[in-house]
Amino acid sequence: MPSIKIKNISKSYVSSDGEDVLALKNIDLEIRDGEFVCIVGPSGCGKSTLLEIVAGLQKQTAGEVLLDDVPVNGTSRDIGVVFQDAALFPWRTVKKNILFGMETAGISRKEQEEKLEKYLQLMNLKGFENKYPAQLSGGMRQRAGIARTLIMEPKVTLMDEPFSAVDHLTRCTLQEELIRLRQQEKKTVLFVTHDINEAVYLADRVILLSARPSVVQEEYVIDAPFPRSRSDDYLVQLVARIVADISRGAEKTSEVEYMI
Amino acid sequence: MEAAIKKSGKAKKKRRFTGINCLQLLTLAGLLGYMQYAVSSGKVSKIFLATPTSIVEEGVEIMTSGLLWPHLLLTIQEVLTGYLLAAVVGVTMGLMWTLFPKTEEYANVFCAAIMAIPKTAILPLLILWFGIGFKSKVVLVFLFSVFQILYNTVTGAKQCRTEFLKVASVFKANRFQTVFHVIIPSALPSMFNGFRLGVTTALTGVIFSEMQSAKAGLGYLLAESQQLLNTPRMFFLIILVTLISVVFVKVVAMAEFMFCHKWRRV
Repeated sequence: MPSIKIKNISKSYVSSDGEDVLALKNIDLEIRDGEFVCIVGPSGCGKSTLLEIVAGLQKQTAGEVLLDDVPVNGTSRDIGVVFQDAALFPWRTVKKNILFGMETAGISRKEQEEKLEKYLQLMNLKGFENKYPAQLSGGMRQRAGIARTLIMEPKVTLMDEPFSAVDHLTRCTLQEELIRLRQQEKKTVLFVTHDINEAVYLADRVILLSARPSVVQEEYVIDAPFPRSRSDDYLVQLVARIVADISRGAEKTSEVEYMI
Repeated sequence: MEAAIKKSGKAKKKRRFTGINCLQLLTLAGLLGYMQYAVSSGKVSKIFLATPTSIVEEGVEIMTSGLLWPHLLLTIQEVLTGYLLAAVVGVTMGLMWTLFPKTEEYANVFCAAIMAIPKTAILPLLILWFGIGFKSKVVLVFLFSVFQILYNTVTGAKQCRTEFLKVASVFKANRFQTVFHVIIPSALPSMFNGFRLGVTTALTGVIFSEMQSAKAGLGYLLAESQQLLNTPRMFFLIILVTLISVVFVKVVAMAEFMFCHKWRRV
């Protein structure tokens, strides 16, 4: 039963001016097995920092992250990460990029090939396996990036604004594919985005982080079955509510600290 | 309109012979023609300039008489030995610095100091230590090109995108895998930049040291022809070393093409 528990995570760092900045403050979250949770929040609120802490790429100042009740210490093959602009290696073909994780894990050639076939199919990458990233569109690149993560079959998948670098239409297609993928595979996903429409459309639950120092400002359970419609009244109203909550949060902090 | 656009696009690809090219050829021909005229008419002394025909004659002469070949072979041997040594040492050290930053912290100050010495200034010392033969040339060539290769390797390795290192870390790549599958490939373009710079300076180094003190080599031949006031031979040798330099750069470029062309946007 893979689940992620984020317990009382705080993160502070020293800025270039030598000041102590508190980025995250006592974040408590639990992502249950098979759940798709989106984190949204104003820019600079530390969404990506939180995700990198869960991934083991950054150290928290306080608190702990538990995967199946075991503390996460550094990166782990059980936690997959999809990066913002796919971060494919330009010197490797799509195929070699997707197999990177399996190569480092020392998995046999035969098994690599079998899995590759499955994930090329799953991510609609058939026929592109011998292309280099520079020859692909942004959408294709991110498909390969997702395939590279999923082929390792991690218990939990973290996605850091994975569709922010592609155009709107491609983004919609990728969102549909992600929903289809979830219905097939029932993955546990933590998804960071600044696009509230995207969050509401994809997630079972949306977590709103406040501006710095970030705390969990609000939590929204999205009680709508898949497939969803983008024009669904319930979803549209939810988006409006989240947007209102964000600007309310922004007002609050600007009152306390300073007026812009 | 559309046809015109298509046409101009095609012309770019085919590199047509243009009016500018004509002018360039004419300039070159004019220059050579003037050299021929000025020297053969006695307007310019034969010591200062050579007629193109005498340069060609001299070239044919030293090639057919066999005078050239031992010198050419020696110079190439010296430059290749020194350069390959510099490439191996430069790349190995650069990677070691990236792998173990402490080694850079320790060695960088020494390397920077040695790099700062004008290499030509230590030639007299090198001759004392290694004699006027093969060894001192190889050492000088090595010193001429090793730093360009070393520092370009280090820079390239450090410029590896942090996202790539994060990917390596997320997939639990070990140190060896990270270096050989992530850092080196992303440093390759910069490394080749170092190889390219290094190969031209290597040739400069060998010619210079042969001119200063040697018993053989193209640089020696060049200095000797100056003493003999054999200007056509000097011109021929200058053209020859230039060609060698061009060939070396081309070989490096070809290697770069083989390793990087497929994925680099050209």
